[in-house]
Amino acid sequence: MKWLTALLLLIIAPLIGYHYGNFYALHVAGLVGIYCILCVGLNITVGYAGLLDLGFMAFCAIGAYTAALLSIKGLSFWITLPVCLLLGGLIRYLIGAPVLRLRGDYLAIVTLAFGEIFRLVANNFDWLTNGPKGLPRVGEKISEIRLFSLSFTNDLQFYYLILFFLLCTLLISYRLEHSRTGRALVAIREDELAAKLSGINVPRVKSLAFVLSGMFGALAGAIYVHWIGFISPEMFTFWESVLLVAMLVIGGMGNIAGALLGVLLLVGVPELLRPVLGTRFVEYRMLIFGLIMIVVIIFRPEGLLPSKRRAAELHAKDE
Amino acid sequence: MFIEQVINGLTLGSIYALFALGYTMVYGILRMINFAHSEIFMVGAYIGFWVLSSLPVFLPGFLPAYFLAVFILAMLGAGLLAVVVERIAYKPLRHASRLAPLISAIGVSIFLQNLIMLTAGASSRPYPEKLPLEQFNFFGAQVSSLQIFIFGLAVLLMFILTLFISRTRLGKAMRATAENHIVAQLMGINVNTVISLTFIIGGGLGGIAGVLNGLYYGSVKYNMGFLPGIKAFTAAVLGGIGNLKGAMAGGFILGIVEAFAAGYISSENKDIFAFVILILVLLFKPAGLFGEEVPEKI
Amino acid sequence: MYRALLIALGILTGFTGCAKSPAGMKVVKIALVCPLTGDVAAMGQGMKRAAEIAVEEGNAAGRFQDIKLELAAFDDRADPKEAVNVANQIISDRQIAGVVGHLNSGCSIPASQIYSKRGLLMITSASTNPKLTLQGLKNVFRICTTDDVQGSFAANYFIDKLKITRAAVIHDKTSYGQGLAEEFKKQFEIRQGKITGFDGINIGDKDFRALLTSIKNKKPSLIYYGGMYTECGLISKQAKELGLPVPVVSGDGVFTPEFIKIGGNATEGDYASMIGIPPEKLPKAKAFIERYKAKYPGVDMQPYDTYTYEATSLIMEAIEKTGKDPAQIVDYVSRAKFSGILGETTFDAKGDTLNKTISIYRVKNGKFIYCE
Repeated sequence: MKWLTALLLLIIAPLIGYHYGNFYALHVAGLVGIYCILCVGLNITVGYAGLLDLGFMAFCAIGAYTAALLSIKGLSFWITLPVCLLLGGLIRYLIGAPVLRLRGDYLAIVTLAFGEIFRLVANNFDWLTNGPKGLPRVGEKISEIRLFSLSFTNDLQFYYLILFFLLCTLLISYRLEHSRTGRALVAIREDELAAKLSGINVPRVKSLAFVLSGMFGALAGAIYVHWIGFISPEMFTFWESVLLVAMLVIGGMGNIAGALLGVLLLVGVPELLRPVLGTRFVEYRMLIFGLIMIVVIIFRPEGLLPSKRRAAELHAKDE
Repeated sequence: MFIEQVINGLTLGSIYALFALGYTMVYGILRMINFAHSEIFMVGAYIGFWVLSSLPVFLPGFLPAYFLAVFILAMLGAGLLAVVVERIAYKPLRHASRLAPLISAIGVSIFLQNLIMLTAGASSRPYPEKLPLEQFNFFGAQVSSLQIFIFGLAVLLMFILTLFISRTRLGKAMRATAENHIVAQLMGINVNTVISLTFIIGGGLGGIAGVLNGLYYGSVKYNMGFLPGIKAFTAAVLGGIGNLKGAMAGGFILGIVEAFAAGYISSENKDIFAFVILILVLLFKPAGLFGEEVPEKI
Repeated sequence: MYRALLIALGILTGFTGCAKSPAGMKVVKIALVCPLTGDVAAMGQGMKRAAEIAVEEGNAAGRFQDIKLELAAFDDRADPKEAVNVANQIISDRQIAGVVGHLNSGCSIPASQIYSKRGLLMITSASTNPKLTLQGLKNVFRICTTDDVQGSFAANYFIDKLKITRAAVIHDKTSYGQGLAEEFKKQFEIRQGKITGFDGINIGDKDFRALLTSIKNKKPSLIYYGGMYTECGLISKQAKELGLPVPVVSGDGVFTPEFIKIGGNATEGDYASMIGIPPEKLPKAKAFIERYKAKYPGVDMQPYDTYTYEATSLIMEAIEKTGKDPAQIVDYVSRAKFSGILGETTFDAKGDTLNKTISIYRVKNGKFIYCE
């Protein structure tokens, strides 16, 4: 029942907002939606599997750039989308093969390194990505998303599109969490060796989580580029990836609600407070997030809205 | 051109080596990656900047005294910051999972970077030109007195550090703690003090590396630590993380490789080389050149 | 705990559903977008000061009947992605009637597309890349000249006046930097000059030694840099340190005292081209400079300040004459014959000003001196 009301609110409120001319909040809502897709995707790797991924935005970039390049050539979004998902998943799979057997902190650094390599490639391989000038090039256009006779052009339409994909993401993540694979992931997270000895195919399960999360990243990127109409390598820096991790840490790793809360707090709140508190405040937000991240990881590592299991895991040491 | 790139490489390597020592020392003692070390480096550079900017009119005779002041203050400041960070952000997590201190360190890194950005400004600040620069000719290549100074200072500091670790009691205590905290404690070593000392020394060296970086490139900026930090970490891993000799060797090797890659292959993409080396080392030879292979105990 | 999430969600959707409170006295804003922080901040801050003077003077003179004119400054950090974010914020704010900005062409170009979605006027006082006005957008105007003029002017100058025949070209891969470098290269080669190399560097790079060493081996007599002052200052400094004592030449992105501060003594003898003729030569501009210095004593003037003042004044005249409807403002500006501190300004069909002069300056004793 709660979910139904939430859903109805999410569908109706923006219509009211649009009617009254509150365009900025609508834009922010769309942004929050995109970040939610990213965070829920990242949560599969970081939250469910317990693997710290510091280069996740690279996959958003892969999705965005692929969508941009194909769209400029004239292909429809509905064709480029599966391509992006496939490419994101494939690259994740190829990277995962050697990388997933590394220990936690080394894995984190390697994902950071891959993330940076992708950004540098996007920045330097001018002939493909137009470098820091970004896509589309002057004179080119990212084609619109068309569904039957409907053309998605303004913030309100994109909000519903993003909401639709977010709901799909939530559904898939939820089903994963409550499946055998989801339980296998939890087992691996708690004690990899014991999981292996219980017969779980650890590399395969990890790889599945890794690949799936990468596909969500690519999805978010593909939608984003069609919405905003512009991408550049600066959108995919390490600090953007870290921001996603911060959202999970603060919101609560390992469960969907935590991921969503993290996004609301770290993206929604600062953006909506911008007209009220002024842009200067927004400059302080990273400072505050860093501080909160430290405080949370020390005193409440399971985050603000934890899964009970995760909380138990992390506080088991206190006994 | 070859000799010039060697000289560039050695100078760069000197900075990386000093910087890498901080990473390797902390990892050796706590088995943690001090992600915030790059910000210690940056703060050291800023301290140097502030001291140099506020020094009165430049009098030639006082040059050595000035520079001594700059380096000592930067070293103390950076070392102090490092140990404060350790106490606040890392100590509570000593018995937590491996990832927790890393996440905490990332939080510290974000915090320090933004703190400096908001207080000292987001643009590049030029390092005051107080150093008389002389050029020498060495087998047809131009060497500047600054490059010689950086190399010399780095070698000197590394020598002193090696002596300290191998000959003094504190050095021995550090080595013991790196081996095994519990046994060291049983031997009467105050592990917390040793850990703090490690951070002070490692942080201090990082701070000096920051000042040298500022002098060499002529500028400081709030985010100057990130990329050199990753490279210095790569150097530490390349040499064998936890191993001091390894960090020094790794620093110089990485510096030379980078200089040659930039000069002969592609200057634009030189950063990609460092990242690729990092990935390759971590995937295929995580113990590095001088590190010991630690088998996974079941 | 899920209740907490629901409450948070509710609050957020509440925000979305919120109506904007209607203004009392009509506030009309002019948006100024430029880099207020980051490596090009000095120039952006100058633009802000100039725009503020314009708006203050306009309000003080009581030109707008029941409208309170305000300046809304936005920071794009010279980053195209940030520029796009800011542009989206701006078009959501119905109180904004027009935009002065951006500074970097790399920012103006993508942002202009967003402004055109709402038909919002954008006048840039500093973006010099020709492509900005080739997009066919009706709402984009430019009060400064373009890089095809700037780059080729520099090429001709150095071939004719200084008899330079070999030049190395470096650029920062942005729309502005690369664009300018390409124009210079094109003209230089047309004039039979030899370009020894055309290399890109990344903004934020600090170590150019490897690149400069390989450039040195090709023996150019001049280094032409397309980009902004921070990287150019470092390039100039490192080049001289490496034993490459040739002049470093660049464009309007480098024409600021900050370049000399960053490059230090190495910048002696370097050149920069700049849009327009020196403001000191125009009486009305000179008066503006006096007012500026009086209001901000001890602050260096930046190159785009006079242009930003001009652009802001132009929008103000449009608002005065037509009100706050963006479409009418755009229409007014397209047909305007504006008489301001820089002389007469009219725009061609693409939105470029017909006033297309370039000057060359040289660094002497720590200051830029005009070369006749």
